[in-house]
Amino acid sequence: MQTLRLLAALFKVNVQMTLAYRTDTVVNILLNLFWLGWELLGLNIIFNNTSSLGGWGLGELVALLGVFHLVNALMAALIWPNTEQFNTSVRDGTLDYTLLKPVNSMFLVTFSRMVIWRVWDLFLGTALIIVGIHISGGSIHLVSLFSFILLTGTGSVILYSLWIVMIAATFWFVKFDNNVTILQALLDTGRYPATVYPAWLRLIVTFVVPIAVATTVPLQALRGDLTLPQVLLFAGISVACFLAAVRIWKAGVRHYSGASS
Amino acid sequence: MLKIYKRLWQVNWAEQWQYRANMLMYSLYGLVSPIVYLAVWTTIANSQGSVNGLTANDFITYYMTLLIVDQITSDITIHILAYKIQDGTLAGDLLRPVHPILTSTLVYNVASKALFFTVLLPAWIILALIFHPNYGAVTPGSLLLAVPALLVGFAVNFLLGATITCLAFWTTRVYAISEFFSALVVMFSGQFVPLQLMPRLIQDIAQFLPFQLFKYVPIEIVLNRLTPGELVRDFASGAAWLVICLLLFSWTWREGVKRFTAVGA
Repeated sequence: MQTLRLLAALFKVNVQMTLAYRTDTVVNILLNLFWLGWELLGLNIIFNNTSSLGGWGLGELVALLGVFHLVNALMAALIWPNTEQFNTSVRDGTLDYTLLKPVNSMFLVTFSRMVIWRVWDLFLGTALIIVGIHISGGSIHLVSLFSFILLTGTGSVILYSLWIVMIAATFWFVKFDNNVTILQALLDTGRYPATVYPAWLRLIVTFVVPIAVATTVPLQALRGDLTLPQVLLFAGISVACFLAAVRIWKAGVRHYSGASS
Repeated sequence: MLKIYKRLWQVNWAEQWQYRANMLMYSLYGLVSPIVYLAVWTTIANSQGSVNGLTANDFITYYMTLLIVDQITSDITIHILAYKIQDGTLAGDLLRPVHPILTSTLVYNVASKALFFTVLLPAWIILALIFHPNYGAVTPGSLLLAVPALLVGFAVNFLLGATITCLAFWTTRVYAISEFFSALVVMFSGQFVPLQLMPRLIQDIAQFLPFQLFKYVPIEIVLNRLTPGELVRDFASGAAWLVICLLLFSWTWREGVKRFTAVGA
């Protein structure tokens, strides 16, 4: 209950900060739409020249783009701004104030900054998924749809856990401003099915920086490519990742000695 | 003047050399998108033999060349100068008796390219070993012709970037404009796909825009894919855009500095 109230308060503060720059919000949404047009044009060019990309049709790629937008919204709304905030606070020592508060520090570090207008990307992503499913025509099995939704969630949890580990690494290596660069650089691989990538890149985006687990894998579930045990395995992995991330975070906080004092 | 550039080079190189680890990480950004598109298009080409006459090897050589061309013609002026106009610290640069953009910003750009290449070259060699590009069509002549094309590409990109940065004299913030600009670059430069696969309309528009000079034209010249007629046309368009951008930049700079009030400094 207290957590929810805190979340609401943080949300309110961030909305107020957004309202200070209203024109920026409008411009950002317009640019976002512009990029969407470009992404769809890109898919259009691909499918003008072929009828399938590694066995995936246009509708499936539109839906994949939708899932990518959801993941990107998570990144752009929470992960990137809070990374910046966190790295600054480790460098100048203001992280002490976060740790002193009688609230779970991982929670505060995750939600202290929110880029509100990115909520828009969630709507856009959902719309793209619905349109994509509609284009591909074939009726979707209810189990597939359910595993798709489940795996989109678990994939995001896995990426979130990886992020916690990445920023917790800063506790041991203070000058580690690049902690999330590899995640940012590889994020764009989520736009296309990982199955078209060369084996080494597929291994990286599945096991090292598991972007495909949050983008390609849910779509595979939607296509009915995954068996139920596989779906449950991914769900189990995400729980394990989250628990491991919590432990590493706690160890990092214990190890941290502060920069200001 | 040469002495100034030499000293600026030493300063900029030493300054950026400190951040070589950052550089290494940032160079990842440039690598990922060409590799993704290389994978996408070679998958398609392999599944149906060729795409619009382009074979898998044509795509591999295209994107492998793009990795290098992109680094040579890219420009980071907006990122290193716009905030100086925004927060007023440009005032310090203006006190010096040399043009700040044509000296220190330009040298900074070139130094960061040089540093990038120390990372890019090994990465490129590894990728070449993975993808086996067949560069049979490249000749010494095509490489030689690519040199002026690359210089023009960088010059036009740099001048356009500097012009957009100068818009900050009027609008203070230019990030939205610069993002719009980069969207145009992605669309019309051949970053996403060789331009000949674009819809006819976009190809025709791209002909009249400067963006293809950044990537598509130098790549096609290196790969020896242009006819003499196309070469003449593209070099003429490059020369025209160079003049236009020079005029555009010198005008926005002159008028902009007059308006500059050094807010915040």
